Order: sequence, then structure tokens, then C-alpha cells
Amino acid sequence: MASDPLLIVNNLKVYFDTEQGVSKAVDGVSYTVRPGETVCLVGESGCGKTVSALSILGLLPQPPAQIAGGEVLFKGRNLLKLAEEDLQSVRGREISMVFQEPMTSLNPVFTIGHQIEEVITNHEGVSHKEAEIRILKLLQDVGIPSPKERIHDYPHNLSGGQRQRVMIAMALACSPDLVIADEPTTALDVTIQAQILNLFRELQEKKGMAILQITHDLSVVAGMADRIYVMYAGIVVEEGSVWQIFRDPSHPYTMGLLESLPGRREKGQELATIPGAVPDPTMKPSGCPFHPRCTYVQESCRDQFPQMCNFGDDHLARCPVIHPERGAQSA
Amino acid sequence: MQDSASKNTISGETFELPPQQTRLEEFWSQLRKNRLAFTGLVIFKFFFLVAVVGMILTTGTSPMLDPSLVRLQEKLRPPLSGPNLESLLPEEVPPLRVYLLGTDELGRDVFARMLQGAWVSLTVGFVAVGLAVIIGVLLGGLSGYYGQNSIRVGQVILVLLAMWVALGWSRMSGVYLVILAAMAMVVLASMVLMRGERTYGVFSFLDARLISVDALITSLIDIMLCFPSFFLILTVVALLPASIYNIMVIIGLTSWMGAARFVRAEFLSLREQDFVTAARALGVSDWRIIFRHMVPNAIAPVLVSATIGIAGAILTEAGLSFLGFGVPPPHATWGNILSDGKNYLFDAPWLTVIPGVAILVVVLSFNLFGEGLRDILNPKLRERH
Repeated sequence: MASDPLLIVNNLKVYFDTEQGVSKAVDGVSYTVRPGETVCLVGESGCGKTVSALSILGLLPQPPAQIAGGEVLFKGRNLLKLAEEDLQSVRGREISMVFQEPMTSLNPVFTIGHQIEEVITNHEGVSHKEAEIRILKLLQDVGIPSPKERIHDYPHNLSGGQRQRVMIAMALACSPDLVIADEPTTALDVTIQAQILNLFRELQEKKGMAILQITHDLSVVAGMADRIYVMYAGIVVEEGSVWQIFRDPSHPYTMGLLESLPGRREKGQELATIPGAVPDPTMKPSGCPFHPRCTYVQESCRDQFPQMCNFGDDHLARCPVIHPERGAQSA
Repeated sequence: MQDSASKNTISGETFELPPQQTRLEEFWSQLRKNRLAFTGLVIFKFFFLVAVVGMILTTGTSPMLDPSLVRLQEKLRPPLSGPNLESLLPEEVPPLRVYLLGTDELGRDVFARMLQGAWVSLTVGFVAVGLAVIIGVLLGGLSGYYGQNSIRVGQVILVLLAMWVALGWSRMSGVYLVILAAMAMVVLASMVLMRGERTYGVFSFLDARLISVDALITSLIDIMLCFPSFFLILTVVALLPASIYNIMVIIGLTSWMGAARFVRAEFLSLREQDFVTAARALGVSDWRIIFRHMVPNAIAPVLVSATIGIAGAILTEAGLSFLGFGVPPPHATWGNILSDGKNYLFDAPWLTVIPGVAILVVVLSFNLFGEGLRDILNPKLRERH
């Protein structure tokens, strides 16, 4: 953990201009990814996790999106300030991405071999033959059976899990330092999910890349993450290691999430839920954005935006109410 | 040798490469498998061969088959009828001693005229439609992919300046140079702006948005569609020297709107597809995404409309020729054989049927080929055959 951070997202703000007003999808998010580490961004739909990841690679169309502030430092370079051509050489070679929907993330008119080859030849001027050997190796690495035949297959010849494996092969083609995985298992069966997560772990051990995993599935988080950032309404509400978050959740939202896991209750009992709904990103509540749904709400929550409170060992939460005795020093 | 070449090692493991097949070879093997498309291609090749041979046979000072030889005593003879040897001079007798496709109202050999017209008609069809498809795909692709981007004042100034410089280069003078120097600053500012950085202060007006790319191109399409295109072509043809190449270009320039609309519509939906974002996330450039990833997905409706467009272009040329703007009269094209023949529809139906069937077969063969091309470009459709 002592090594220099690979990626620092610092107070990133991404706003969308909509007809209802400015939608603050990401409103001051900071996180850090170190080399070889798995970091998970957790949160429910619409909390800004995907938007923050897409803006790392400059993939958001601007307008309607606008980067309202903050910086994304990757190996010391601010990616938000890079010209499009420089960004293109970062994408795929140094940072690559795996998407949620394997059924549509591959181009239906090209063979999978062709699509992986495109990534390789785009970034490294290697010959067709050399690229093909690497593709076979990659396909074997991601567990595609008999890659020699599969290399000439089209995406519609493959199952969902196999397509996701191909997507992972594409993402790993140029041995990037960071792979952003945007809910890579959401569209898959539970058994395939486990296989894909195992694959990620294996590949990480083998190649040593860092993974920024975006998910809403806490079981994925528990199995994968070194470090967790819990997001709510465009901000990070709690961050810490798996152990800290699962054993000692220090923000009411994290507590609510953990409470609502099915395994936590006896059979036949009703599942716990968090009352209310996610706030409209164009009209966020004043003070703490979670206060309308919070069971620990106090008067000060309604108008004071909470600071990050440090509970020691890099465990931070944006709630001064729950552990006032511990969270005295604000980060 | 084959064995050692196909074995390759990477990090100690041995891989045997699958048989090498380039994309062109794959294309060919797919085309051969698709019997209809292959037939289309064969017919189409045959017609081009006929056109080339016809051009050789019917040109020159003493052509083998003279398409402009008038034999008034032999007019409107049906196909396969023999010439009346007594009434003809020896050099007027057709070389095959038979009017293969009959004669027209001036006693000209229709076979010779069809041969002479083949080249013009085929090239009109393909050059015009090819041009229309290229322009349509480019503009439709631009408006579908970059549609949300706005054109800024600075960019307009930049383009206008470039045009002005290009036009006024020859009459360079002192005053001109001073104005040019003054404008150079504006140009520099616009170039900074083109790199996507914001400009401030005096030059901030360059950043102002005029109109979105999509609005510009779609209104251009609508404007072009508003013109009755035949009259537009007539007007332009009247201004330009009459030449068959001008006509091809003009027909192409006035018929790209359909293709542009198709491509724009397809691009609007393709742009939101995950594989486009995925390609961008893996560092593929915009041009590659447009031409390698999106065009093959969007080309199917364009190919279908292009096949119909070829017939349209051949007939438009015929109409222009009929009005005296196209190919000058003694020269035959399929279009003008057809339109000349319609006065004798009941007395000499072959005058319309023969060029009509020829156009039909060309269009059909191209249609079959286009459909096969669509299946080859879209692997999901391959299994149907």
C-alpha cells in the first residue's frame, strides 16, 4: 500500500445540462487506485459511479456533460486536460474498460479475432501474424475453449459469458495498468458471474493490473475489493477496506445497504429496506443528501453538508452523527 | 517449411496458427457460397465486357458495326430478320447478315446501337450512384456521428478565409497583404479554438455557437429534396458544357439525399450502441469507428436504394438525352433508344423491350450482388442461405 497511487480522482464534478436544470451527477468525488489493487465503487443506480468512470477516459459526450471541476491524475498526468489524440493512446493501452452489456459491446459484423487485433495493431505496430499469436494467447488466458476455432467466430456465435470473456481479452490486449470494469457481471447468470470474477482475480494475479470495479452488488464487492468507496447521490459517503466497511459501517447509508442484504435476516422475515427514493440529481436536498431517508437524522444534518470524518486506518465516512466520539477529527 | 512457419511460441507455449485467410479471401469464399450474389456478379461482369467490346466494335472511322448507318429502306425490321440484299449497298449490309435485334425507325441496326450505348449507360448508372452513395455516406455519417457538435463562428471564419485566399491568390497586392496579416490573428485564434480549448477576451466571439452540424446537414438535405431534381439537373446542364461526364456528376450530386438520410438514421442508433463506446474506450480513433465499425452496420439500406438508383440514373440520362441535354443525338444510349422507341410501341415493340430488358437485367444483377454484399457484411444474415 505504500506505492505511489496509479490513479487519483480528486474532487471530480460532472454536471449535465438538462431541461429541468443542472443535474449534478457527480458532485465532488475523490478516490485513489494504487497499482495492482482492486477498488470498488458501490452505490445504487444513478449515484454517479458510471459517469465518474466514463469521465476518467473522456468518454462522456460534451455537451450535455460538462466537467465542472476537479482533476483525474493518472501517473501524474491530468487526463481531463489531455488532447483527444493523447487520450486515445491512453485508452486501451494504459487504461481500458469492460462494459456491462456483453451482448452489445462487441461489433456484430466483425470476428472476435479481428476486434481484438484492432486494439493491438492500433496501439502497437505489430504484424498480423504476431498479433494473431497474441490473440490466441489472450483467448486462452480468458478461458475461451479451443481459441483456434473461436478466433474466426462472430459475436453472435458466442454465449454471454464467452462474450464477456472476449471483452476482457480486448481490455487486456495491451497489458494496461488499470482496467475499469463497469458492472461486468450484472448481465450474466450467477454461476457465470462467479466464473468471471474468478477470472478477474486470476488475471490480476498474473498480470498485476489494477482494477476499478463499479458495481451495485455487495457480494461482488466482498469477494473482490481491496478498498471500497460507497457512493450516494454523486458523492462518496464512506470509504475503507472490505473489513472496515462490512464489519464497522459508519455511514447510515452503508448500514442500510448491508441491512438489506438477504443473508442478514432469518428465513421468512421481511427484508430491510431504506425508506424513500434516491433524490432527483437536479434538486438535491440541502445539507447531507441522505438526510431525508436517514434514521439517525439530526437538526444539523438538514443544512450542514457533512465533512469526511476519519475513523483511522483510512476508514472515512461523511457522517459526524453516528460515531461522534470517534469522528472528531475531520479529514 | 509449412510446419515450422505455422508453429509459433510465446512465453514457452506453442501455438499452431489457424490457416491464414485474408479478409479479401474470406470475402471471396463467402461470395462464392452465396449463389444469387455470385450470379449477379457474373451477369454484371458480362455486361461490362459487352460494353467494352461494344465500344471497340462501334467506334473508329470504319467500325465493324456502324450504329449510325441509316438505311431508310430497311426501317423497323423485327429482330433476327435478314437484310434485303438487293436494296442495300455492299457496305451497308450488316456484317452478321442478320439484324440481331432488328432496326429502328431510321433503319439503324439496334444491336449496334445497344452495343454503343452500353458503356455510356453503365457508367452513367455506376458513376452517378457511386458518387451519390459516397456523398450520402459522408454527409449522413457526419450528421449522425458529429450531429450534436456545433459549428462555431471561428470555424466559419476559418473556412471563409481559406476560400478567399484560394480565390484571391492570383491578384496579390499590398492592401490584400495587410488585410491578410490582420486576419491571420483571427485564424490563429480559430485554430486554438479548433483544438477544443476555450478562447477568452476579444476573441471569445469566435467561440459562439452558430448551428449544430446535424441541423445544418439535415436542412441541406431537405432543401435539396425540395427541388424537383430533374429541373435542377436541367438548369445546371444548361450552364455547363454538354458532356456525359458532367451529366454523371450532376446526377450524382442531386441524388445523394436518400443515402444520407438512411446513413444518418442508422448512425443515430448505432452511435448509442455499446460497441461504439467500447471501441472508443479501447482507443480506436473516430474515423476508424465511423468507417470500420459503423458503416458496415449501416450500409444495408443504402445498398438497396443504390441498386434502384442505378436504374433511375440510366433513365434520367435518357430523359436528358431526349431533351437534347445529354449525349448528342447520333450517339446511342440505352435511355435514348428506349425513349425514341416509345413512339413505335405497337408497331415495333422490340425498340422499347430490348433496352428495357437490358436495364432491368443490369439493375437486377446489381440488386442481387448488393443483397449478397449486405449478407456478407452482416454475418448474422449469412446463415439464411
